[in-house]
Amino acid sequence: MMINQSMNDKLLEIRDLTIDFNTDEGLVRAVNNVNLTVRPGEVMGLVGESGSGKSVTAKTIMRLTPGNAVIQHPSQISLQHENRDLNVLKLRGRDLRLVRGDAVSMIFQEPMASFAPALRISDQMIQTMQIHLGYSKEQARRRGIELFERVGIVDPEKRFDQYVFELSGGMRQRAMIAMALSTEPKLLIADEPTTALDVTIQAQVLDLMLELREQMGMAMIFITHDLGVVSKIADNVTVMKKGEVVEAGTAERVLFRPEHTYTQRLLDALPHLEDLPEAPKHTPEPLLSVKDLSITYPLAGNGRKTEYFTAVKNISLDLPEGQIIGLVGESGSGKTTLGKAMLGAAPISSGQVEYFHTQKEVKFGAGMKIKRKRLAQTAQLVFQDPYSSLNPRMTVRDIIAEPLEAMKITKTREETDARVIEVAKRCHIEVEHLRRFPHAFSGGQRQRISIARALVCNPKFIVADESVAALDVSIQAEILKLLKELKEELGLTILFISHDLSVIANLCDRVCVMKHGEFVEEGTVREIFLEPKQAYTQKLIASIPLLEAPDKTRLRTGAQVAAKPVMETL
Amino acid sequence: MIAESISNFFADSWLLWVLLSIGSLLWWSGRDSQYFNYVFNRYLLALMTLLIVSGIVFSLMEVLPGDCAEKYIAYKNTQGETITQADIDAERARMGLDQPLAVRWARWVTDLTLRGDLGFSCAKRQSVNLALGDRFWMSFMFCMAGLVFSYLIAVPFGILSAFTINKTWTDKNPQHSKTERIINSIGLSCQKVLDLVLRIVSYLGLALPNFLLALTIILLYVFAGESMPTGLYSDEWRNVPWFGADGFSWGKLDDFLGHIWLPIFVIGWSATALQLQTVRALVVDESNKLYVDAARARGVDGVALWAGYPVRHSISPLFNSVGFDFQRVFNDLPIVAIVIGLTDAAALLIEALAMTNDQELAAGILFLVALVVISMNFFTDVVLAAIDPRVRKSVLGN
Amino acid sequence: MNALLARFGRKSKPQNDDSYYTAGQFALIKARFKRKTSGVVAAWILGTLVLMGFFAPFFSPVDPTIRGADADYRRGAPQALYFWDDNGFSLRPFTYTYTKEKPKLDLSALAGGNLNALDALTSGGALKASSQNKFKVDKEQRRYIQFFVKGWEYSLIDLSVGGLDLDIRWDRHLFGVEQGQIHLMGTDEDGKDVFSRTLHAIWVTISIAIVALIVKLLTSLLVGGVSGYFGGRVDAILMSVTEAVRVIPAIPIYLACAVALSQMDLSPIQRYFAIAVVIGALDFAALGRRLRTHILTERNQDYVLAAQLCGSGTGRIIWRHLIPSFTSYIIVDTLINFPYVILAETSLSFLGLGLTEPVNSLGVLLQKAQDPDIQQNMIWQFFPVAVFVFLIMACVFVGDALRDAADPYSEKK
Repeated sequence: MMINQSMNDKLLEIRDLTIDFNTDEGLVRAVNNVNLTVRPGEVMGLVGESGSGKSVTAKTIMRLTPGNAVIQHPSQISLQHENRDLNVLKLRGRDLRLVRGDAVSMIFQEPMASFAPALRISDQMIQTMQIHLGYSKEQARRRGIELFERVGIVDPEKRFDQYVFELSGGMRQRAMIAMALSTEPKLLIADEPTTALDVTIQAQVLDLMLELREQMGMAMIFITHDLGVVSKIADNVTVMKKGEVVEAGTAERVLFRPEHTYTQRLLDALPHLEDLPEAPKHTPEPLLSVKDLSITYPLAGNGRKTEYFTAVKNISLDLPEGQIIGLVGESGSGKTTLGKAMLGAAPISSGQVEYFHTQKEVKFGAGMKIKRKRLAQTAQLVFQDPYSSLNPRMTVRDIIAEPLEAMKITKTREETDARVIEVAKRCHIEVEHLRRFPHAFSGGQRQRISIARALVCNPKFIVADESVAALDVSIQAEILKLLKELKEELGLTILFISHDLSVIANLCDRVCVMKHGEFVEEGTVREIFLEPKQAYTQKLIASIPLLEAPDKTRLRTGAQVAAKPVMETL
Repeated sequence: MIAESISNFFADSWLLWVLLSIGSLLWWSGRDSQYFNYVFNRYLLALMTLLIVSGIVFSLMEVLPGDCAEKYIAYKNTQGETITQADIDAERARMGLDQPLAVRWARWVTDLTLRGDLGFSCAKRQSVNLALGDRFWMSFMFCMAGLVFSYLIAVPFGILSAFTINKTWTDKNPQHSKTERIINSIGLSCQKVLDLVLRIVSYLGLALPNFLLALTIILLYVFAGESMPTGLYSDEWRNVPWFGADGFSWGKLDDFLGHIWLPIFVIGWSATALQLQTVRALVVDESNKLYVDAARARGVDGVALWAGYPVRHSISPLFNSVGFDFQRVFNDLPIVAIVIGLTDAAALLIEALAMTNDQELAAGILFLVALVVISMNFFTDVVLAAIDPRVRKSVLGN
Repeated sequence: MNALLARFGRKSKPQNDDSYYTAGQFALIKARFKRKTSGVVAAWILGTLVLMGFFAPFFSPVDPTIRGADADYRRGAPQALYFWDDNGFSLRPFTYTYTKEKPKLDLSALAGGNLNALDALTSGGALKASSQNKFKVDKEQRRYIQFFVKGWEYSLIDLSVGGLDLDIRWDRHLFGVEQGQIHLMGTDEDGKDVFSRTLHAIWVTISIAIVALIVKLLTSLLVGGVSGYFGGRVDAILMSVTEAVRVIPAIPIYLACAVALSQMDLSPIQRYFAIAVVIGALDFAALGRRLRTHILTERNQDYVLAAQLCGSGTGRIIWRHLIPSFTSYIIVDTLINFPYVILAETSLSFLGLGLTEPVNSLGVLLQKAQDPDIQQNMIWQFFPVAVFVFLIMACVFVGDALRDAADPYSEKK
C-alpha cells in the first residue's frame, strides 16, 4: 500500500471550511469549521450518516456547491498543483477546470443519473479528454476504449459507443470510473460509489478501485456511510456528524480504538457476527406454507407476442411460527414478489399459500379468491420506503387506525383510539405525535408508524420488505431492536426481506437465499453464514465488506479469528 | 374499354391504395424490426384517431341547423319556383339525407378514404375540395409561419430565462472581493431584469388574446392616421399577377410582405408566450439533473455545458409538442382572420359555421386541421423514436 | 369525512410552533404561496376585482341596463373628478355639469327629399360622430360626489332557492353625484354608463367561468377517473376519444355548439348557462388525461397497496386515499385554467355567438371595441379591455404562484 513517502507533502488542505445554506427558514449551517488534509496517494475515508455534510464538503473541493450555499469567510481550500499552491475558493472562469477534471475527478453515487441520457458515453468521455488533455478525437477514442478495457468492461469497443441505459448497473459504475480516470487526476473523489450496487458487484467495484489506486497512485477521498468499505480501502478516516468533524485519524485507530462516542455508536450499531444467534432447539410448527408457488408478469408488449417474466419459479416453503426468517437475494431475485405473494398482493400463476392456526381458514392461490379481510387480520406488510408508503394527507392517527376502520374491527371511535394509542406506545411513538402528518417525521419514525399500522389489527405474521434499507445505520439498529422486541413479546412471525446480509445475520433465526426467482439454500443463520453449501451463497457471503484489521488480512467470523471483529452493513 | 375502367377504378380509389401500401410496407418492415413495428402501430393508431375525429366532426355538424336539401331548395326558391314540403322531402331522399347518421357518416368516410373527397358544399354549390383549394394551404402557411416566429423568439429567450432562474439579484459571496461583487451584482441584476421583462411580456401574451392584440395594432394605425395593413394586399396590387409582362412583380411582393407580417406576428404572439414558459420550464427541469453537475465536474463549462446538456435534452419534448402547438395556433386563427380581414380557410370556417351553416365545408376544414395535427404527432413520434435514445428506450424497450 | 372535519377543526385551533407538524396540505400551500410577492399582489388585485364584480350594483353609480341609460349624455366622454379648480379647493371631489350642445341640423330641408340639403349636411361635418359627442362643460355648476347615495333598487345577495325567500335587496350605492348621474368612464351610444357596465360584466364573465370550470371538472373527473381506475379496454377507448377531441381545435367546436344553441329558443339566462356548460364539457381532454395519468401512478404508490393490505375496499381507497391525493392538484389546475375559460367565453362573445348585447359580459363589451366608430371616436370604451387584461394578468400571476406553491407535478415528501 502506498502509505506515503513524503509525509509533509499535502495535496489538498481544507481549513476552517464553513458552509451555510440559504433556505426558507434562514441560514442553515451545513458544514462547520471542517479541517481535512489529503496527502498525495493517500486514501481518505469520509464517513458520516445522511445530512452530515460529507458530500457538500467534497463538492466544495470541485466548487460544485449548489446555488444557495454560502461559503463563509475564514474557509480555505488549497490544492498542490504543478508545484503551486492553488487557492481553490478563489478560482474563476476557465481556471475552475483545474479542480474540475484536471487535478480532481469525481465518481458519483448514481452512475445512471450522472451520464447524460441522450448522449453516447463515448461522446461525453471524448469531450472530457479534449478539454483537459487536448487529445484529438481519434486519440481520445483509443484512450477511452483502453480505459474501458482497463476497468474490466467486456467488449469495450461496443460498450464505448452505447448509451448509459444500455449498460448494467455494475458496467455503469465501471464506465463512470473510467470517465473519472480519463483525465489522470491526482485526486479522485468517490461519493458513495458502491452504495447503489448489489453485494457481489459492490465487491468487484471495490476491488477494481483498490487495484487502480495501486497502479495509478492517485489520492482518493472515499465518501461512504459504510465502515466496512472504509476499512477495506482507506488509510485515514474522518468521521463527520451534523457538519462537524468528530474524529479523524488513521483507519486503524479510528475503527479499532474510537475515541468519540459517535464513532463508538456507529461501530456499536453494526451487527456482531461472532455471537450469531443460536438456532432454536426445535423448529416450531409452520405458521404458513407456500406450495409450488410461481408468479408471472406479462412484460409490456414490445414485439407482436406478449412475453412473460417469471419472477418466482415454483417455490415451496414453510415458515415456522414465532421466528424471524430472513430472505436474501440480490436485486431481481424475486424476493419482494414472493413476500408480496404471501400477502396476496402479487398475481399468483400457480401454487397456493396457506396459513395455519388462524381463527378462520386463510388459504389462497391460483384460481382461488382471496378473503381479504381474513388475510389482512393475519398478515401485514412493512414497506421498504417509509416515505411513499404513508399517505401524506392523513394524520398518523388516521394512518394507524386505517385497518381498524376499513375492516370495522372496532365498534366506536373511543375503542379505535385506545387501540391506536396502545400500539403507538408499543412502537415507541409519542402519543402527542399522532395528530401530526407524516411529513413531519424522519425516516426512522415513519418506519415505526408503518410498523404500528401493521400491528394494529393483531396479525400473526409480518413481512418486512427491506424495511431498514433506506435508513441510517444507527436508526437501523433501533428498528431492528423494535422488531426483535415484537417477536419476543407478541410471538410474531416475521419474514425479513433484505439484500443486506449483515442485518440478517444479526436479526434472523433462519435464512433463505434466492437467486433469479429460485431457491438456492435455506438454513439457520449459523449454517448459512458459517458453512454455506451452495456456490452462490458462498460468493454472496464472501462479498460482504468486513471490517479489516490493521494488517489488512481479512477477518472472518469469530470462530476463526481471535480478535473481536465487527461486521458491517452493506 | 377495360383499360379505361381499370384506370377509372384506380383513379376513384387512389388514396385507399396509398394508405394500404404504406401500411403494408410498414407491416412488412416491422416483422423483424422493433422500430418499424412501432411505426406500424403508431400508423394504425393515427388512422384510428382520424376515424374517431371524423366521427366527432361529422356528428357535431349535425347540430348545425338546416341541411343540404333545404339549402338546395332555398336556392331554387330564389330562381322563382314554388316549393312545398313534399319537394324538400323528395330532395332529401334523393340526396340520401333521410338515411341514419351512421350510414351517411360511413359514406362520407368511404369517399374520403377512397379518393380524398371531402364531400359537396351545398351552400357554395361546389365540391369542398375545390372551395377550400389554396385557402387551406394559406392558413397552413400562416400557422407554420406563426409557429416558426414563436419558436425563433421563445427558444433563445426561454433558455436565457431559465439561465437566470436560480440566481440572486446581488452577489453576496464572501469569497469574492468587493469590486468583483459589485461587477457580478450588476451583471446579475441585468440578467434578472431581462428575465423579469420577459416574464411580464409572456404573461401579457397570455393575458392579451390575439384578437385584442390585433385590435390594439389596428388602433395604433388609426391614431397614426395610416391605412391599416388588413387583408393580404392593398387594393392597387390585389389584381396584379405575380408574373406580369415585365417579369416578376417585386412591387407586389413588397406589398405582400407589408401585409403578411401582421397576421404572423399576431398569431405568433400568444404562442410565443406559452412557448417561452414551456422552454423555460423544460430547461430548468433538465438543468437541475445530476448529469449536468457531473458534466460540470468534468470541466465542461460555458456554452458547451448549456448547449450540450440541459438545452439539448429539452429539445425532444419541445419538438414533440409541435402538433398541438399547431392546433393551438389554428384555434386562434379564425378570430384573428376576422379582425384582420383575411380570406383564408380559418375565415371560411367562421363563415361556414356562423353564417351560412355550411356543414360540409366546416367539417372538411376541421377534419383537415385534425389531419395535420395527427400527422405532425405521428411524424414527431416516429422521428423522436429514431433519434432520441430516451424515447427509443421508452417505446421500444431496451 | 372524519379527516375533513378534523382538518377544519384543527384550523380553528390557535397556531403555535407545532403548527408546521400538524399542517395539512392546504396550509403548506398557503405558507409557500405567501412567499411569492407577485402572487400575493396579484391575488389582492384579483380579489378586489372579483369583489367589485360580485357587488357590482353597490359599487356602480348608475344602472347599467337601458333603464339607467342617460339620454342626455350619449356617447359622452369620461367625467373627471376634481378637487380644485379656479373657483377654489374642495375636500369633497366634484365634477361639472355637462350639457349637450343643440345640434345645428336643419332637418326640415331633408323632409322635402332635397338631395342638395343632404349633401350639405354630410359634408358640413355636423353628422360626423366626433361632433356628436361635444358637450358643454359648465364649470360654475359643480356636482359633488356623495357616498352611500340612494339609487335604484337591486338585490345584494339572492339566496332564494325554491320556496325560500332570502333575496336581500338594497338601494344604496357606494357613490354618486348630487344631480343627475356620474359617468367615470363615459357612456356608450345608448348612454349606458361604461364603468357600471364593466363592473357588472366582470361578475357575469367570472360566473360563466366558474360554471364552466365546475362542469369541466366533473367531466374530467369522470373521464380520467373511469379511465385511470378501470384501465384496460375502457381506458384504451376513452383515451383514444380524448385524443381525438384534443386534436380538433376548440373554438370552432364551441362555435358550432353556440350556433346550435342560437337556434333554440332560450332565455338569456338559459343561454348563458348553456354556453358555460358547453365550454366546460368540451374542455375535458387535457385535465382528464392528466388525472388518468395521476391515478395510474398514484394507484401504484405504496400507500395505496398499504391501504389494500389493510383491508380497505375499492370505494374506500378511492374516497379516502386517491381523491384526497389530488384535491390540491385539481384545485390548482382549475385556478390556473381560469383565465383560459374566460378567454374562451370572450372569444365566443367577441364573434357574436356567445352572449349578446343587452347582457353585460366582458366579451360583449370587448366585441364593441372592434367597431371603427368606437376606435376613432369613443376610445373610453376600451376601458373594459383594460379591466379584462388586468383580470387575466392577475389570474395568470395567481395561478403561476399557486402552481409553484403546490407543485402538483412533483409531489415531494
